[in-house]
Amino acid sequence: MHEVEMMTYGEAIREALDDALAKYPEMLLIGEGVPDPKTIFATTQGLREKYGAERVLDMPLAENGMTGICIGAALAGMRPVLVHQRIDFALLSVDQLVNNAAKWHYMFDGQQKVPLVIRVIIGRGWGQGPQHSQSLQGMFAQVPGLKVVMPTTAGDAYHFMSAAIADNNPVLFIEHRWLHHIMGEVDKQTPSAGLDGAALLREGRDVTLAAFSHMSIEALKTATTLAEHGIDVEVLDMRCVSSLDVQRVAASLAKTGGNLVIADCAPEMASIGHQLLSKLVLAHGHCLQQAPRLIAYPNHPVPTSHFVANHYYPGAEQIVSAVLDMLDRSELTEAVIGALQSDLPKDQPDRSFVGPF
Amino acid sequence: MTVISPASADLKQLYYQMLRIRRAEEAIARRYAEQQMRCPTHLCIGEEAIAVGVCAHLTNQDKVFSNHRGHGHYLAKGGDLPRLLAELYGFAEGCCGGRGGSMHLTDLAAGFIASTPIVGGTVPLAAGYAWAEQMKKSGAAQGCASVVVIFFGDGCFEEGVMHETMNFAVLKQLPLLFICENNQYSVMTPLAERQPKRDIYKIAAAHGLHAISGDGNRVDEVYSLAQAAVNNARNGLGPQFLELHTHRWPEHCGPNEDDDLGYRSPGELAEWKLRCPLLQTRQTLLEAQLSDDAELTQMETRLAEEIEQAFTWALQGTRPTVDSMRQHLYA
Repeated sequence: MHEVEMMTYGEAIREALDDALAKYPEMLLIGEGVPDPKTIFATTQGLREKYGAERVLDMPLAENGMTGICIGAALAGMRPVLVHQRIDFALLSVDQLVNNAAKWHYMFDGQQKVPLVIRVIIGRGWGQGPQHSQSLQGMFAQVPGLKVVMPTTAGDAYHFMSAAIADNNPVLFIEHRWLHHIMGEVDKQTPSAGLDGAALLREGRDVTLAAFSHMSIEALKTATTLAEHGIDVEVLDMRCVSSLDVQRVAASLAKTGGNLVIADCAPEMASIGHQLLSKLVLAHGHCLQQAPRLIAYPNHPVPTSHFVANHYYPGAEQIVSAVLDMLDRSELTEAVIGALQSDLPKDQPDRSFVGPF
Repeated sequence: MTVISPASADLKQLYYQMLRIRRAEEAIARRYAEQQMRCPTHLCIGEEAIAVGVCAHLTNQDKVFSNHRGHGHYLAKGGDLPRLLAELYGFAEGCCGGRGGSMHLTDLAAGFIASTPIVGGTVPLAAGYAWAEQMKKSGAAQGCASVVVIFFGDGCFEEGVMHETMNFAVLKQLPLLFICENNQYSVMTPLAERQPKRDIYKIAAAHGLHAISGDGNRVDEVYSLAQAAVNNARNGLGPQFLELHTHRWPEHCGPNEDDDLGYRSPGELAEWKLRCPLLQTRQTLLEAQLSDDAELTQMETRLAEEIEQAFTWALQGTRPTVDSMRQHLYA
């Protein structure tokens, strides 16, 4: 009998890092703030004390240089995990990620490898603004050789982090800040599924909802509320961004009559949802019954002021409207959205979150 | 500073290694016009003393990283010549299976990890490699057994990543040698248009590196400076920086001379040619009667044979299959 533990997504990441540091003496955990008192939203808590300052360490504010240094260490047999508290900071390291990490194994004809994990955090709300909350998964997923994953559940966070560290390739591990506090089941004994495939979060017959990262949580909220109205939504978590599980979406569409809603946490023009749609149509031309819907952010940066930022981010309400419109049940929209209403401010993931991050 | 001159046998060997690079580069230049080596190729003719003088102190356990102008570094570190040539021709037997060409070289058995052409791209990799070596050796009684060398040019010194790397190298006291080949030109743009008038090595010193400059066209001087630097790095005294002044003779990229383009000062190239690292060493060898014409001719004959054989081997290479193109995206 496997022991299933309940823990938050953030705790699951800490557990995975802890277990990997124990398993791989060559693993390093490095990043701005990794050993500081706030320990990257508690995801690195206690690890320096347990594994020492040589393996769990802070770094100079030199994102590109340090990425290259981690690549060099990886070439020499280490397994570095490099953390950026914001994905925006990783933009400074695009040269090393794209020109070196992603291509090294290929460029040198398979003679060398780069086992490197880049942990980046995306987010929304609490005034993170234009340079602290971008969602760039689509951009990074377009680089051959770079594996890009964004798990949504605590269980996937544990297993994906474990698999990413075990992987002999560079892996960009994207965490949504609004997932860190969410509880879930972690069964460490479950065999790892690697870094492939979509996850079925909820079975349904009427509509396929393919969602990314935090939007999968919004999709689940939508599905629960719509179920009360007899509408049965299937939710797929598209956790592997650079190897989209098109097959799984197509299989779901065969069941739901070709009704597809995609929900991504990224500006529409940069959404990996377009890639998913393109691949679906190219590989499964007749899988869609009607025009699909893509829920994404507007094509401009997010302003900091919560008075307007609250209107920038789509959530369960927008997904509900799209699903009901698609099913020709728009008469329910007002009632369902009413049921979703909460008095929680929209720039807070839950009441325990009081900023500043 | 005490300058330790290389022993007479060493000087002859240094000359031979420089001559080997020179003749190999000249042979590449001659055959380049045949249009079979179809990749951008940056020759290091005129700059051979630096690669040779530094690599003379390295063992197989020591590692080298390099840049777009990497043939000399590769050969001086013991990289396989036939596989370098096969790489230029794009054959499967090339050191990168034909995937890299002139600007991507590797010979892991020789400790030549990699050269790549994004300026500054390999600089932090060398530091990361040295860091890993240092961690592996931590707990060892004295210093580090192996050192890592990064070769780069004056243009690279303008890259941010260069300074990010120097900062970390000093912070961690890495067993790392920064070798700056200052040839005054980035492609065709002179140093004065890119950097204010001050010494590159002094900026490295301000970062906290043990830094010194020298004549990159005198292999005895490079040898001496590198000997001290390698020993320091090996003995745990932290990263070392050598700024070595030199000059590239051919065009930036390609087999030809380009003095007619006029980006060099009039007479500049001719003056540097008088300071040819091979010519100077040859004079010393003859004047000090460490060698004679017969022996030097013998060297030429031996190298001509080696290079001819290397080309013959390389030209018998096989084409990488189209199917192989998809391999090795992931490890």
